[in-house]
Amino acid sequence: MFGYVRPPVQDLPPEETERFRRAYCGLCHTLGRRYGPAARFILNYDFTYLALLLSDGQEGRERSARCIASPLRKRGYLEPDGAMELAADESVILAYWQLRDGVADHDWLHGLKYRSLSGVLEPAYRKAAALRPGFDEAVRRQLALLGELERERCDSMDRAADAFAVLLGSAAREVDDPVRRRVLEQLLYHLGRWVYLVDAADDLKKDAASGNYNPVALRFSMADGSWTAEARREFTATLDHSIHMMATAFELWDFGIWTPILETTLYTGLFRVGKAVLDGTFRARRRGIDKKKSKNVEETA
Amino acid sequence: MNDPYQVLGVSETATDEEIKKAYRELARKYHPDNYHDNPLADLAQEKMKEINAAYEQITKARSGGSRGTSGGYGGYQSGGYSYQQYGQSASGSSVLQQVRIAIQTGNISRAEALLANYSDHNAEWNFLRGAVCYRRGWLDEAKRYYQTACQMDPSNPEYRQALEFMEKGTQAAYRPGGGQFGTDMCGGNMCLPLCCLWSLCNGGGYWFCC
Repeated sequence: MFGYVRPPVQDLPPEETERFRRAYCGLCHTLGRRYGPAARFILNYDFTYLALLLSDGQEGRERSARCIASPLRKRGYLEPDGAMELAADESVILAYWQLRDGVADHDWLHGLKYRSLSGVLEPAYRKAAALRPGFDEAVRRQLALLGELERERCDSMDRAADAFAVLLGSAAREVDDPVRRRVLEQLLYHLGRWVYLVDAADDLKKDAASGNYNPVALRFSMADGSWTAEARREFTATLDHSIHMMATAFELWDFGIWTPILETTLYTGLFRVGKAVLDGTFRARRRGIDKKKSKNVEETA
Repeated sequence: MNDPYQVLGVSETATDEEIKKAYRELARKYHPDNYHDNPLADLAQEKMKEINAAYEQITKARSGGSRGTSGGYGGYQSGGYSYQQYGQSASGSSVLQQVRIAIQTGNISRAEALLANYSDHNAEWNFLRGAVCYRRGWLDEAKRYYQTACQMDPSNPEYRQALEFMEKGTQAAYRPGGGQFGTDMCGGNMCLPLCCLWSLCNGGGYWFCC
């Protein structure tokens, strides 16, 4: 479910990309300090966005340090603050339950990866759940609901997406200001809805082959996981409407220094990702990224 | 009250033309049309009032208080537009009338409960069910209920308008600096170039994507 929300680097000026990187590194350091080095492997762009949305929009203090990813050169990062810590705690809870979900979804052999990773994350999860019991409870409740809907092969994609959207929306439950909480809950709800639907669309072919539950395939009565022009039009309309809901919520709160990154992501980046998924180029490119990345590492080494 | 220049995001030395431009952009952003049936429409309405007041204050101050204020932009005045009001119940049912009031006051659970207990699933029931779904963020279901309402009563403008909004409402949605809003609107090949931001500590979360 992760990996679809990402900074649209080609649409952002370098200083904004750099700012995002400082937050990304800041979250990584926060995870390391609170949960030990092993917890840092859960870091991703999605969680970084969560940290940006929860932050107060002020440019925090900057520090620099070496790390595994940059062992020679010191890199600047944002010093953890309350919002970053909240995002880190919630990230641990989300990552842990995502892994447990992987354990439940696979047989013993294929679940090995998920089981060992969730085992590594277990102590961190216990600590995070004790710190944020409300969020932990909401995640467990919503994932159980999602599992139920999957078992009964619910053909309403809104109902299935709602389970995940409410889960993500509850990440804003600890926000004090009532207006800000309303804005964030709405934004995160539709972000969750969009992510869930895009993820289902991305899995169409795979699920058609394996016979796994796919709410989008059921909604549009797809037999082989391919789109008709009409179904695709209807589906993009509903995705666009969720992005519109996110954008209208976003405009009602001042996100400070994160405004350019969030604005470009909402009004441009999500469209690009959605289109790539529907065109079937997203997975191919993602694999390409991995290949290219390992090549780059060799080159720089 | 806040500094009107700050509200419009312009400096005090900005020209009249720049101020007008900034005002128009903000008015487009917070316009009731952009928050049609939106659960946060009340917050947008407050923003709109603030922007209108700021613009009025600046134009008044700059013209020495003599000239009529923002009369030329009456179209953007909040008074000129009303948020969608759920008027009289078409079928004359008192229960459905209560549902309309519940939706209007944001009491979605009550509206839902009233609809669940109403056995005559006529065109209006379907329309209101759609309106409840919309506020919950169940956008696909909302559209399908509106569709049913339109099929049952094709001549009703209220239902037709709601369905049209679901089908192409976001095409006219606000986007900074103009430009079309939509997944299929973004350009061809360059859509998602291989982005290798930094040598990341891990796969950027791809572990979990199965």
